[in-house]
Amino acid sequence: MKKLERRALMCLLLAGMLAAGLCFYVGKWLVYGSEWVSYPANKHVFTDGKINTGSIYDRNGQVLLENTESGEPEYSDSYSVRTATLHAVGDIDGNILTGANRAFAGKLVGYNPVTGTYSAGGEGRQIYLTIDADACVTASEALGDHKGAVMVYNYKTGDVLCMTSSPNYDPTDPPEIKEDDTSGVYLNRCTTARIVPGSIFKLVTSAAAIEKKKDLESWTYNCTGKKQFESSEVDRITCPYPHGEVDFEEALAVSCNCGFADLTLSLGIDNIKKYTKKAGLTDSYNINGIHTTPGSFDFPSEDVNIAWTGIGQYHDLVNPCSMMIYAGAIANGGKAAVPNLIDSIKTNSGLPAGINWSRKTDTLIESETASVLSDMMHNNVIETYGEYNFPDLDICAKSGTAEVGGGNSPNAWFTGFLRDEKNPYAFIVLVENGGSGANVAGSVANQVLQELVN
Amino acid sequence: MELFTSLSEASKPFMEKISDVFQSDPTFAVYFTTAARWIFVILAVFILFKSIRSLLEAKNTPETWAFLALPDGSHVPLTHWENVIGRAKSADVVVDILTVSRNHGTLCRDEDGNWRYNDLGSKGGSMINEKHVYRSTPVKAGDTISLAGVNCVLVPASLQEKMEDLGRRKKRSRKFPPWTLLLSLTIFQILLCLQLIVAEGGELPITVPLSFAGLTVLMWAFCTFLKVMRSTNFEMEVIAFFLCTLNLAITATAAPNEVSKQLITIILGVVLFFCLCIYLRDLSRTLLIRRILVAASVLLLLINLAFGTLTYGAANWVSIGGFSFQPSEFVKIAFIFIGSATLDELYEKKNLGLFMLFSLFCLGCLAVMGDFGTAAIFFVTYLVISFLRSGEFSKLILTAGGAFAAGLMVLRFRPYIAERFATWGHAWQYADTGGFQQTRTMSAGASGGLVGYGSGDGWLHNVFASDTDLVFGILCEEWGLIIAILAVLAIITLGVFAVRSIMGGRSTFYTIAACGATSLFIFQTMLNVFGAVDIFPLTGVTFPFVSNGGSSMLVSWGLLAFLKAADTRQGASIAVRKIEDEEEIEGGTL
Repeated sequence: MKKLERRALMCLLLAGMLAAGLCFYVGKWLVYGSEWVSYPANKHVFTDGKINTGSIYDRNGQVLLENTESGEPEYSDSYSVRTATLHAVGDIDGNILTGANRAFAGKLVGYNPVTGTYSAGGEGRQIYLTIDADACVTASEALGDHKGAVMVYNYKTGDVLCMTSSPNYDPTDPPEIKEDDTSGVYLNRCTTARIVPGSIFKLVTSAAAIEKKKDLESWTYNCTGKKQFESSEVDRITCPYPHGEVDFEEALAVSCNCGFADLTLSLGIDNIKKYTKKAGLTDSYNINGIHTTPGSFDFPSEDVNIAWTGIGQYHDLVNPCSMMIYAGAIANGGKAAVPNLIDSIKTNSGLPAGINWSRKTDTLIESETASVLSDMMHNNVIETYGEYNFPDLDICAKSGTAEVGGGNSPNAWFTGFLRDEKNPYAFIVLVENGGSGANVAGSVANQVLQELVN
Repeated sequence: MELFTSLSEASKPFMEKISDVFQSDPTFAVYFTTAARWIFVILAVFILFKSIRSLLEAKNTPETWAFLALPDGSHVPLTHWENVIGRAKSADVVVDILTVSRNHGTLCRDEDGNWRYNDLGSKGGSMINEKHVYRSTPVKAGDTISLAGVNCVLVPASLQEKMEDLGRRKKRSRKFPPWTLLLSLTIFQILLCLQLIVAEGGELPITVPLSFAGLTVLMWAFCTFLKVMRSTNFEMEVIAFFLCTLNLAITATAAPNEVSKQLITIILGVVLFFCLCIYLRDLSRTLLIRRILVAASVLLLLINLAFGTLTYGAANWVSIGGFSFQPSEFVKIAFIFIGSATLDELYEKKNLGLFMLFSLFCLGCLAVMGDFGTAAIFFVTYLVISFLRSGEFSKLILTAGGAFAAGLMVLRFRPYIAERFATWGHAWQYADTGGFQQTRTMSAGASGGLVGYGSGDGWLHNVFASDTDLVFGILCEEWGLIIAILAVLAIITLGVFAVRSIMGGRSTFYTIAACGATSLFIFQTMLNVFGAVDIFPLTGVTFPFVSNGGSSMLVSWGLLAFLKAADTRQGASIAVRKIEDEEEIEGGTL
C-alpha cells in the first residue's frame, strides 16, 4: 500500500492545479474587475446599455449630468453648458469615447473589490470634473460655427480647466448622424485628433536649434519671401511677405518660414526627429484612463521636405493635447504635470471616495532651453500679437497658420502659457479652416483665459 | 409535477401577502439584504472552515491487523489489509536481505480476518511451513513464511495489544459532532428563504420555502440517523449539505419551479449515498459486483447512443416519461467501481488491460455523443486510476500523448468544438458571439464583490445555462467571491483528504476508489469553473453538488460514498465496518 502513497501525489497535483487556477482567477479579478463591470451588458450598472447610476459635476459644483435608474440621464438645464461640455461629459448612447459617462463608468458606479457594484442606496458616486463649465461655454461660443478644439490646463497640478471640441451638439436632442458622416462629431478633437500643426511646430525646431545649432546668437537669415531647393524646381518654401534680415528671436516672432527652413536644414532631419520625440509629440498620454492619440510624423530625406517638416507641414500631424502639454513643460522648466480630468469623487453623502495623485511627464525640454524659449514666446506677444490683445495676462505664445491644401482656409492655431503663479495655465486653441492663427485662434484663447483668470 | 404547480398557483396570494409585509417598508428590504450578505459569508466561513480544518487535520492512525516476526527478532506491524513484503523501500514490510526480491510477495487479509500469501514471481521463491507455494495460499497465525530462505512468522495481535491500539486510535481520532454546524446551516437556510422572499416577492412559488424546510428536515434526520448507527464524523455530510443549500438557492433564482424537483433529487442522492456506504462495507461483495456494473454501463451507454436526444450540441440526455436524465453521469460511479482493485489484482497485468478496454469504450461513446467535456473527465479519471494501479509514468505520458493526438483529430471534424477553442482566451473580443456566456459571467461575477448582491438579486441567472455551466458566476454575483471560493475549496479538501487517507487505508480498492472519485470531482470542477471565466474553453459540465440537475446531484452523492469508505478514522464512517473484536472490546471490559 505504501506504493500507492507516492503515486497518489498525482491527485494532489490535480488539486494543486485547481487551487492555482483559482488564484489566477482572483488575480485577474483584482486587476480587471472594474473593466469587467463596465461592460454595457452588466445590468447592475447599465439599463439597456445606458449607465444608470452616478452623477457628474464641474469643478465648481455645477450639475453636468445625473444618471437615473431608467437609464435616461438628466443633463444641465443650460443649452450652452450641454453643448460646450459634451465631449467631456459624454452622450446618452456612449458614442463619445472620452465622455466621463463612458470613460469613468466604473468610477460613477463606485466599484470596489469588496462590495462590487453594490451600493445600499443604489445611487452611485458623484464625480467632480476639473473643467470649469463657464470657461467651456466661452470657448464653445468663441469657436462659433468652426470646427476646432480648445484645451486649457494647469501645468503644475494637471487640472484640465477647459476641454471643448467642436462640432458638438445638444445631447438631449442628438441629431441624426448618417453612416457616411465625416464631420467627426463624436470625436474629442482635444485628445483624439491629429491635425497639421503649421508654425506652432517651430517651438520644437527652436528647442533643437537652441541646443544644437552652433553660433545661434550670431545666426541671421535674409528672408526674400521665398526659398528654393535643390531637390525640387516647383516646390519651395514661402513667407507671406519678405521679412528681410532676421535673427533667431525675430524669426520666431514673425514666424519666418524661410528662416526656419534654413535652420531646419542645418540641424538635419535626425535632430528634428529626436526633438519631436523628446517633446512627447509622438507619445500617448493617459488621462484618467483616456488615452490621447499620438501624433504622427514622417522624417524625409529630400531637403525641401525636410524643410517643410521643420515648419510643421509635410506629413506632420500633431495631437492638440500633447502640444499643450509641451507648452506646459516650457513654462514649468522642462516637466509638466500630466493632465487630469477628475477633481474628486464623492459618495452620495459627501464622503470622499477615491484618491488622486498628480503625475509629471518626462523631461520634454531642458530647463535652460525652456527658459530661453519662454522669453522668446513672450517676445512674440510683444512684437507680433500685441499685448493689448491679451489685457492683464502675462502670456507667452506661438501662433500657427497651417496650410491644408485643397483650396481650403488654413487651420488657425494658438498655443502657449501664462507665467502667473496664481494662474499657471497652458493652452492650445485650434480653429479648423479659421484663417490667421494669431487673430482667429488668439482671440478665442484670450476670451477663455480672461474667463478663467477673472 | 402538476401537483406542485397547482400548489404554487393556489398559494400565490399567500406569498404575495408575505412579500407585501416586507415591501411595505422598502428600507427594510434594503437593510436586510445589505446585512444578510455579510451574515451569509460569516456563517459560510464558519461552517466550511470547521469542516475543512477537521478533514485536513485528520490524523490517519493506522490500525494494526497483525504482526510479522522477522528473523532479527523485530515484530513489524501490518497496518493495512494488503501489504507488500520485499527488499524495496516502497514495500510495506521491508526485509533488507539480498536474497529477497524487491517485491517478493503480498500478505493480504479479508474482512473475516483470513490471511493469504501470494508470491509475486520472486527469484528466490516462497515457502509456507516448508512447502513451496506458487499461487495465493491461506496463511494462519503462527505459520512460517519463508522468503528465499528468510523465515518470517505471522503473529496475531494479542487482546492486550488490540485494546491498546483501540485506545490510541480513539484518542487520536477527533470526533466531529455536527450539531453546531447544522444549527448554523439551518439559520443560513432560514435567512436565505427570507432573502429570496425579499428579492422576488410574490413571484416566488411557495414550493421554494417549503423545499428549504424539506432540506433542513432531511439534514437533521439523516445526521441523527447516522449518529444512532454510531458514526462519529460528519465533515463530508456537512460540506455536502452546505453545497446542496447553495444548489437550492441557485435553482430558486434561476428556475424557481424546479426547486421541488431538486429537493427530491437531493433526497434520492442521500438515499443512494447511504445504500452505497452500507454496500461498500463488505469488500468481497464490492468486488463481485464489478462484472454486473460493466454490463450495466455498456447497456446504459448504448441506450444513450440509440435514444439520446440532441440537446444543445450533445446527445447526452434520455427522456423517459417526462423525466430526463444523463446516463453517462451514472456510468461515472460504475467507472470508479470497475477501475479500483485490490493489491493482488494490481499485480495481475491483464486486469489493467480490461479496464483500459472498458475506458476506451466509454470514451468512444461519449465522443460519438459529442459530449467532450464528460469525455475529458472520464479520460483524466482513467489516467489517475491507471497510474495509481500501475505506477508507470511512461505509460501515463504515452496515453496522454495519444489523447492529445485524438483531441486534435476531434477539432478537425467537429467545428463546434473548434469554435470554442478559437474563442478561448479571447472571450472579450468575441463578447457578443462565442464569448457571450463567459463575458457575462465575469461581468456579473465581478459586480458581486466579496459578499455578493444577495440571492435572487442578480441578473446572470437569465443567461442560458447559468445554473449549470456558469454556476460559478452566479455564486460570485449573488453570494460573493468568498463563498464561491469556499465552494471550490470544499472540493479541493475532499481531494486532499482522499490522498491522506491512504496512510490508514485498509484495501487498495477503497483508496484507489477514493482518489479516483476526488480526481473526477476536481477535474470536473476545473472544467466548470475555469470554462465559465475563460481560463479553459467552455464545456458543458456541471459543478458537483452545486449545479442544477438531477443526475449530477445524484451522482455527486454517490461518488461521495467512495470517500466515506476510505475514512478509517475510529468510528468515523458508516461505510467502514468496525471489526468484530472491536465490538467485543467495546461491549466488554471497556
